[in-house]
Amino acid sequence: MASIDYPLERPRPKEGEFSFSETLYRWVATVDHKRLGLMYIVTALLFLVIAGLMASVMRLQLAFPNNHVVGPETFNRLFTMHGTTMVFLVGMPFVAGLSNYLVPLMIGARDMAFPRLNAFGYWIFLFGGLLLYFSYIGGGGLSGHGSAPDVGWFAYAPLTSKAFSRGASTDFWILGILVAGIGSVASALNVIVTTICMRCPGMTLTRMPMFVWVMLIDSWLIIIALPPLTAAQVMLLIDRFLGGNFFNTQAGGSAVLWQHFFWIFGHPEVYILIFPAFAILSEVIPIFSRKPLFGRAAMVGAVVAIGFISLGVWAHHMFAVGMTSWSNTFFAASSMLVGIPTGIKIFNWTATMYGGKLRLDTPMLFCCAFLLQFLVAGLTGIMLAVSPFDWQLHDSYFVVGHFHFTLIGGLVFGLFAGMYYWFPKATGKLLCEKLGRWNFWLFVIGFETTFIPMHFLGILGMPRRIYTYAPDRGWDFWNLVSSLGVIAQAAAIALFIWNVIDSIRSGEKAGDDPWDGWTLEWATSSPPPEYNFEKLPVVRSSRPLWDLKHPHDPDWKFEQ
Amino acid sequence: MAHETHHGEAGEHSEQTHIEMPAPTFWPMVFAFGVALLLAGIVTHWAVSATGFVIAVCAAFGWWHDVIPHERHEEQPIEPALRPEPILVETRSVVRLQLGEGGHRRRIPEKIHPYSAGFWGGLAGGTAMAGLACLYGLIAEHSIWYPINLLAAMVIPDLGQASIEQLRAFNGLAFVAAFIGHGVISVLVGVVYAVMLPMFPKYAPFWAGILMPLFWSGLVATTLDIVNPAMNARISWPWFVACQLGFGLVGGFVIARSTSISTMQAWSLAERAFLEAPPRDEK
Repeated sequence: MASIDYPLERPRPKEGEFSFSETLYRWVATVDHKRLGLMYIVTALLFLVIAGLMASVMRLQLAFPNNHVVGPETFNRLFTMHGTTMVFLVGMPFVAGLSNYLVPLMIGARDMAFPRLNAFGYWIFLFGGLLLYFSYIGGGGLSGHGSAPDVGWFAYAPLTSKAFSRGASTDFWILGILVAGIGSVASALNVIVTTICMRCPGMTLTRMPMFVWVMLIDSWLIIIALPPLTAAQVMLLIDRFLGGNFFNTQAGGSAVLWQHFFWIFGHPEVYILIFPAFAILSEVIPIFSRKPLFGRAAMVGAVVAIGFISLGVWAHHMFAVGMTSWSNTFFAASSMLVGIPTGIKIFNWTATMYGGKLRLDTPMLFCCAFLLQFLVAGLTGIMLAVSPFDWQLHDSYFVVGHFHFTLIGGLVFGLFAGMYYWFPKATGKLLCEKLGRWNFWLFVIGFETTFIPMHFLGILGMPRRIYTYAPDRGWDFWNLVSSLGVIAQAAAIALFIWNVIDSIRSGEKAGDDPWDGWTLEWATSSPPPEYNFEKLPVVRSSRPLWDLKHPHDPDWKFEQ
Repeated sequence: MAHETHHGEAGEHSEQTHIEMPAPTFWPMVFAFGVALLLAGIVTHWAVSATGFVIAVCAAFGWWHDVIPHERHEEQPIEPALRPEPILVETRSVVRLQLGEGGHRRRIPEKIHPYSAGFWGGLAGGTAMAGLACLYGLIAEHSIWYPINLLAAMVIPDLGQASIEQLRAFNGLAFVAAFIGHGVISVLVGVVYAVMLPMFPKYAPFWAGILMPLFWSGLVATTLDIVNPAMNARISWPWFVACQLGFGLVGGFVIARSTSISTMQAWSLAERAFLEAPPRDEK
């Protein structure tokens, strides 16, 4: 760091003594990685509630045949905004928020490498999200057609051409995502540089916490995967505003080209979203099993392999497009290949639990549910990787069930585990365990009730994205069951929000290390001071806090 | 359980009273707002873009002023109240399971035979096998060419219909085909032996010399009708098994006598990845 030429010393009031304007300044002008991390997470939670409400309206519409709660146009906007919000405004900020909050603490650093870029990343993400939602007001454009985008979160050509998407709603989709994407790239770049350059003395790559390893690979994936989407979005803007024909099939363009660009981003994106859950599990399961992570080196290798393979599987989303049989075979084989490193991770988490002294607190409960649900998601994923099978079920509710098992059963359950685990560190208060268990069981029941029937509906032939259906198709019962599950899920989310508010207000004090942790974030106070560590730690093993707690048999004596 | 408390490095007190941290600034937010407006103008009005551009330029100057020529820092006072609690030390020690002890699976193989040993072992075993086959030809059919022609029948279909006299006679093409086929297969099997032998936990000579040839004979017996019907009609199974055992014993002996080389299995991840490898004299 450069020397200080003009240090700013301001009198520091005690907590709770700040005026409103001071508090506002502290948050708006902050470059502290912890505050920015919390801002990312809180924003993501707000968008999660909005996207959840949209999903609830969709399930209400589909609960009964020939239902007319919303019309077809509104339904199209709902599933477009739900998908876009969940991926870009919930999943991505959670990635950024978690890595922002935890990576510097875990590697014993005082802040991220580029604190101002970090702040810029958050704000540009927020403005991108607001721009997307501004489409509800401004999406009509000058011609007055449309409001929110209605082209699906994938925005396939030629749906996005001026002929089929009049008004400005698609333009808001393009620009909102493009602007938010700048924030994701800024955040990923920061994580990479921070991890590589700012680890505390002694923290070699082999001693780095598994969480940091996974977020490092995740950040590389973001850097590699987002530019193709941005490029395609700029091409689409040229098509729509400057008369370009990149995706106009009638003028020599290619609609399939958009699909390739989109899925070159879109499939790694699935791993970008699920990696934080992997990272959380790799920290929570060992702590609640009282055993070190089984096969640490293999786990690092597996996450690197998943990251690498995920860049070469995109066209399994396009089996029904009509690619050559060689292309189908290649992408089917490469998609199945992902199952190997993913299997290694599932086995290693299970092996970590095997023979351990299990503590089934709320974070661990969410991890256990993740293991089962993500396994099911993986198995249905392998089924869909078989191209003849995919031809039968492509664009059916089976696919909807599969990816919700991945992203809700996997990602959201993992995030809940993480929030219950690190909430005491961020706030100094414990979340109520009783409410946590209610939260868990309601969410599990709601999740299974909602998404298992979707697999049956897909096999029964129900297509995705239809806004209603005739009563004689045999879909009534499973749709009703699926919609009923939403009630339990909504109750679970409401309980969680209440738990957070109530715990911050009057929760039990957590202490600095409530879970008897092993990584560095538990070595500082809860919540940590702005400088994280008064004196930067020196580590000698992958479990530095274990070493301090067990000076008679520290890990560094045994680790190779 | 006995406990005591102490402060680890992470909780140690510093002599400093302040710590430099990056100073708060609102310019990144203003810059982000400007960029968002700049792009939003594409779908709204050029005036929005123009406003965004002006805001972004002002914010960029403000941001540069924050970091050029030196980054602005803020002195954060170290507050004793924010110091972490002492770490609870557990005096009870944990017994660590060592590799290979108490049923803990050792990572094997720690040493392997070089591929060259497999190559030479395959050649030696193949020679022994060929010698035994020729001995069988001499004893049973009074010709060393008989087994050679039978083997060649696998790739030369005409030999499948050949008479006994023709099979007893020298056939140049059949000799070349049998020589190459037998040689290549022998070397490949030798290399497979070299790779597999260290993987057997014990009784490697027994597996290599006896059981593997018997397994191989069984596999051949079930498939020979498809692979080489001519040979299948005329083969003497006791001699065939004897030839296989000859290969296994001689090839296995040559491979077993080779000097083993260490694998990386016993190395740490850092050493295997050639990252941060501590000096290891024993290597």
